[in-house]
Amino acid sequence: MNYFPDEVIEHIFDFIASHKDRNSISLVSKSWHKIERCSRKRVFIGNCYAINPERLIERFPSLRSLTLKGKPHFADFNLVPHEWGGFVHPWIVALAKARVGLEELRLKRMVVSDESLELLSRSFASFKSLVLVSCEGFTTDGLASVAANCRHLCELDLQENEIEDHRGQWLNCFPESSTALTSLNFSCLKGETNLAALERLVARSPNLESLKVNRAVPLDALTRLLSCAPQLVDLGVGSYENEPDQESFVKLMDAIKKCTSLRSLSGFSEVAPLCLTAFYPICQNLTSLNLSYAAEIQGNHLIRFIQFCKRLQRLWILDSIGDKGLEVVASTCKELQELRVFPSDLHDEEDNDTAVTEIGLVAISAGCPKLHSILYFCKQMTNAALITVAKNCPNFIRFRLCILEPNKPDHTTSQSLDEGFGAIVQACKGLRRLSVSGLLTDKVFLYIGMYAEQLEMLSIAFAGDTDKGMLYVLNGCKKMRKLEIRDSPFGNAALLADVDKYRTMRSLWMSSCEVTLGGCKRLARNAPWLNVEIINENENNDLMMERNEEDEREKVDRLYLYRTVVGARKDAPPCVTIL
Amino acid sequence: MEKGGLELEITELRLGLPGTEKMMKKRGFTEMIMTSSGSNSNQCESGVVSSGCDVEKANESPVAKSQVVGWPPVCSYRRKNSCKEVSTTRVGLGYVKVSMDGVPYLRKMDLGSSQGYDDLAFALDKLFGFHGIGVALKDGDNCEYVTIYEDKDGDWMLAGDVPWGMFIESCKRLRIMKRSDAAGFGLQPRGVDE
Repeated sequence: MNYFPDEVIEHIFDFIASHKDRNSISLVSKSWHKIERCSRKRVFIGNCYAINPERLIERFPSLRSLTLKGKPHFADFNLVPHEWGGFVHPWIVALAKARVGLEELRLKRMVVSDESLELLSRSFASFKSLVLVSCEGFTTDGLASVAANCRHLCELDLQENEIEDHRGQWLNCFPESSTALTSLNFSCLKGETNLAALERLVARSPNLESLKVNRAVPLDALTRLLSCAPQLVDLGVGSYENEPDQESFVKLMDAIKKCTSLRSLSGFSEVAPLCLTAFYPICQNLTSLNLSYAAEIQGNHLIRFIQFCKRLQRLWILDSIGDKGLEVVASTCKELQELRVFPSDLHDEEDNDTAVTEIGLVAISAGCPKLHSILYFCKQMTNAALITVAKNCPNFIRFRLCILEPNKPDHTTSQSLDEGFGAIVQACKGLRRLSVSGLLTDKVFLYIGMYAEQLEMLSIAFAGDTDKGMLYVLNGCKKMRKLEIRDSPFGNAALLADVDKYRTMRSLWMSSCEVTLGGCKRLARNAPWLNVEIINENENNDLMMERNEEDEREKVDRLYLYRTVVGARKDAPPCVTIL
Repeated sequence: MEKGGLELEITELRLGLPGTEKMMKKRGFTEMIMTSSGSNSNQCESGVVSSGCDVEKANESPVAKSQVVGWPPVCSYRRKNSCKEVSTTRVGLGYVKVSMDGVPYLRKMDLGSSQGYDDLAFALDKLFGFHGIGVALKDGDNCEYVTIYEDKDGDWMLAGDVPWGMFIESCKRLRIMKRSDAAGFGLQPRGVDE
């Protein structure tokens, strides 16, 4: 292979897309490292503090597409203070300064400002695609700059962001010459939408495949949009409507009938059930259906719709569908690969008879042979059910089970769920992601350490008895990358047993566990290549550092550690101490 | 679950009642919620030590699961945007959803903050910035809109007929509908439940 000219090797590398593979290639030899890095266009950075933008640019001069992730996963559940960090601005500044030909930017859990978006929109002439997931810190003004200045924008995808809506005219800011849009998702915007501007934009975007609108787009506007974009593949609906009158309903249904390419449907927040029925003409074509925000649509309506969706591969739904509904899914959706069942009642105020149980899960596992990913919120579980599920579905890659009440045992035997989860990890040899819940002892972690050879991400809450639990996982799971633990009795012994293990992991999160300040300090001393962050909202930096030896025994509320090649970050807020 | 020849005696599974040694070691959910009001770690320690009595306390006064921060693990965006989070659907208390024909948004209002139908009329006017609604309630036949509500039984009734107290107890949601549409809507006739 070394006798080929570089151009030939580079051409061969072009066929290798996956980040993992390209990273492996770059380790083979110096010359391969150089060819690989000079030709690399797409880079994925799972932790924005593991490296800095200058080093990134230096290594990958041909960078076109950058993916960055900021806050740790538990930030989703309000366990990370708002001001923690994850700012994208320094990255955009550096990329702009180095005149990188950036075309794509994908951010998850990062803080984005209007200033950042403005700079982005002015600095990269070929910029095509902006995807923001669970980000915050910007307003519709920032969107206006992107719309106005990115002449080649194809994709603007805003998923679940906190965006301050200035009710401006950002949609009007797309110039008339902008006709390249393929994907537009503004479903998370809370304010009003200029419907005329939206309709004009959609009408002049013949390549538009994905359109997800927000709540402020009513049914008649949706009808008009669908009429001028029958080529849509992916549609997000989101509009309040009482039962629409006969005429509007017929018009909507007619427009939908023409959307023969439609494969993916989502939205439906605050939408009357009748609106769902307008989609009957195309439901047998659907491969993806997200009704997890449709709290208004009751189980029976959902079931009636889903029983026609025979080609469904992905289904996100609320637990109001019930076990009976899941049985219908199991008998209808034989192509199902991914299922997410979210809780509809977060306050436990109502007597929730329709929440799902182990019965629904077993039915799905029996009926859907291609299932590989599941997220399941339920009120109860049994070992027997989990053992059956493991037998039925040995192909799970992602298995996330959340029993709503922490520490809940098997409801038929009152035993822990160690055996059930043990069966899952033993049968599912390809399991990469696992979340456990219910009553669990150290034994479940023994099983995980023993069997979960491919496990990369593990989420633990209210589980285990002693440090041994965490040690089984750290010692056994060779491919572990992200470990996140809350409210479990793991302490310094487990944290410090094998410091080098953290070289092979992206990050570790521990909150409300038994680790102490002294333990964390010791870890930080022994592992200078780690950033060991203590998050304590009740104190500030100075108090922390003045503590005497006594306080070394004080338990740490939240610990977040991650490997990094650039040392302690300089943008940490007062509530974060980097040891 | 035994692998041939492997002795799995590492942990002793004790299935005792709360208050046994096992509960002492593990920082159970019940201890956590008893001490979750402060996030001072000193409190946590005392919680572990006296777990027996804390567990008993928990049994006496059941604490809602939602008091635990970040549990269940549903992301905050989803929490904020799921309808049940946004408004209580309990009949007679708190907020009800109000819709008006032609307006793409739902509004919520607190029925409890109004003293009577006049108050309600005023509040509705303010909510939608439209002066006709109040008139509808007071002087039904002369107005472009009618105000109807869905009661406990799922029936749609004309607002203003029953005594105020009875109204706020049974009203689940409100709708301001065009009079022209109301004719074929299937409103329950007046006086049906008196």
